[in-house]
Amino acid sequence: MSDRPLPLSFRAIDLGIRILPHLIIFAILIGIWEVAMAMGLITSIMIPRPSAIGGSIVELYITEGTIYRHFFITLTEAVLGFLIGASIAVSLAVCSSLSDPFRRYVTPYAIVLNVTPGIALTPVIIAWFGYGMGSKIALAAIISFFPIFVNTLTGLVQVDEDREELFKSLGAGNTQIFRKLRVPAALPLMFAGFKIGLTTALIGAVVAEFAQATDGVGVLMSRFSFQLNMAASLATLLSMTLIGLLLFYSMEFLDDRIVFWRREGRRAAASRARSKAWAAQARK
Amino acid sequence: MATQDTISASAINGSALSLRNRRIAKHIGIFLALIILWEIGSRIGWLDPLFYPRPSNILRSFWLIYVANANVWFHLYATMSLVLLGWILGSVLGIGLGALVGFNAVLRRFLKPYVIVLEATPRIAVAPLLIAALGFGVSSKLAIIMLVCFFAPFINTLSGVMNVDEDRLELFRSMRASKSQILRKLVLPDAIPVIMAGERLALTAALSGALVAEFIQRDKGIGSLILVYTRNLNMSSAFACIFTLTILGFLIFKGMEKLDHYIAYWKHEDGRERMSLKRRRKIGGHSDV
Repeated sequence: MSDRPLPLSFRAIDLGIRILPHLIIFAILIGIWEVAMAMGLITSIMIPRPSAIGGSIVELYITEGTIYRHFFITLTEAVLGFLIGASIAVSLAVCSSLSDPFRRYVTPYAIVLNVTPGIALTPVIIAWFGYGMGSKIALAAIISFFPIFVNTLTGLVQVDEDREELFKSLGAGNTQIFRKLRVPAALPLMFAGFKIGLTTALIGAVVAEFAQATDGVGVLMSRFSFQLNMAASLATLLSMTLIGLLLFYSMEFLDDRIVFWRREGRRAAASRARSKAWAAQARK
Repeated sequence: MATQDTISASAINGSALSLRNRRIAKHIGIFLALIILWEIGSRIGWLDPLFYPRPSNILRSFWLIYVANANVWFHLYATMSLVLLGWILGSVLGIGLGALVGFNAVLRRFLKPYVIVLEATPRIAVAPLLIAALGFGVSSKLAIIMLVCFFAPFINTLSGVMNVDEDRLELFRSMRASKSQILRKLVLPDAIPVIMAGERLALTAALSGALVAEFIQRDKGIGSLILVYTRNLNMSSAFACIFTLTILGFLIFKGMEKLDHYIAYWKHEDGRERMSLKRRRKIGGHSDV
């Protein structure tokens, strides 16, 4: 079996060799920046020293740990908003794919919602849902709705004619066609939509926090910025990057597990698992 | 035979047209029914008109902000001039850097981690930082818009330049095409439609970026207008502004489509026809075509 993964130690060494030059360049860049600041080549309170940023990171993340509460609040807002937006989007898209009239009457409103910059709704949403988490979740849901809706609908509607013909000629019912043909064909596109939606949900949560909030990384960020504490502000920005990476890679992981047939390695793993399960069953 | 054909064709045409008209009429009917339901619900007291403005009030606000007070024009101009300027600057930067990185493998390898990190960060989140650094006013707004709309053209240029069909590249090389010929005849024709798609995303993002900058700065622009109206609980005017943005978004969408058909003409039927007509005129001088 050539596609078996290498032993872990080999992979770690390989990764180390690949990452090393990146790390060296990063260190050199940071070093030049620090030295330039220390020598007074760059003098601005707006540009913090790397060491000051490092200090703020240590302070915010380790010694005081203030960031975590805000981190989890923003994360919750983004994820809840995404879940609400995605469930509405997917259910509307499924209904639209099943019924032509429904699609005709829903799409114009979806398009109107799409061409309106969702961010413009921020003040109104805050007036409607209050200063708490509700307004952030609502904005995240509204913003993440459209990419998921469009991708799910496109995926469900575009089906290979020949395959559908085959399904019908083998006497598959509508439910079977939907479950075994349309949904699997739609899933890769749906996940692409989910990834966009999750990113936009995070943007929605953060922007709503800028407008009005008491907790969340967005508030922390604008507070630090307006105190001209640039180092802490950049350290907070790092937490948003972390949330973004966390959300993106967890969706990538789900994509990998659920849409396993698209990637060679995952397909092999899935078929191994299945053959093992069948062998175990046969032995019984 | 011929007359029969034309008759049936026109009949089909006519029925298709009437079907279309009926559908549009139904759409409008449903829309009006929803609006009337909203209006009645608000008048009976199901919906609090303080938070959910009546359609009639929104119409009156449209009249007020566009004609009677005419204050929306100033803010629209303030927003849109910055959006367009920032979009142009940001996309020039994005396309330039994207091409640079796309053609240079070493640069690409070392910039990749930074691009991934930048991609994961919600770029609008940098808005307060930029406002603190550059001060209130035009420069920070422009910087935010540029930052927000830099990324899509960058990524799309990068992938457009890199995704060259290997077989066609082989063919070009075996015909001894020069580097500039490969660029002009192979890389760009495939890359430009992708770049244009990025430009469209960038313009939408630019509008959002401008709105966020205006929410924070609250000096002028349509975003601060919405914020002020909402704070005064003048929801009908806020909605009039939001629907203005809907129309604007629609115009942006249509405008970008037109631009796409104009620039990447070889990807669209009508663009190809227009170009071939133009070339025929230039070559043959058929004034009657």
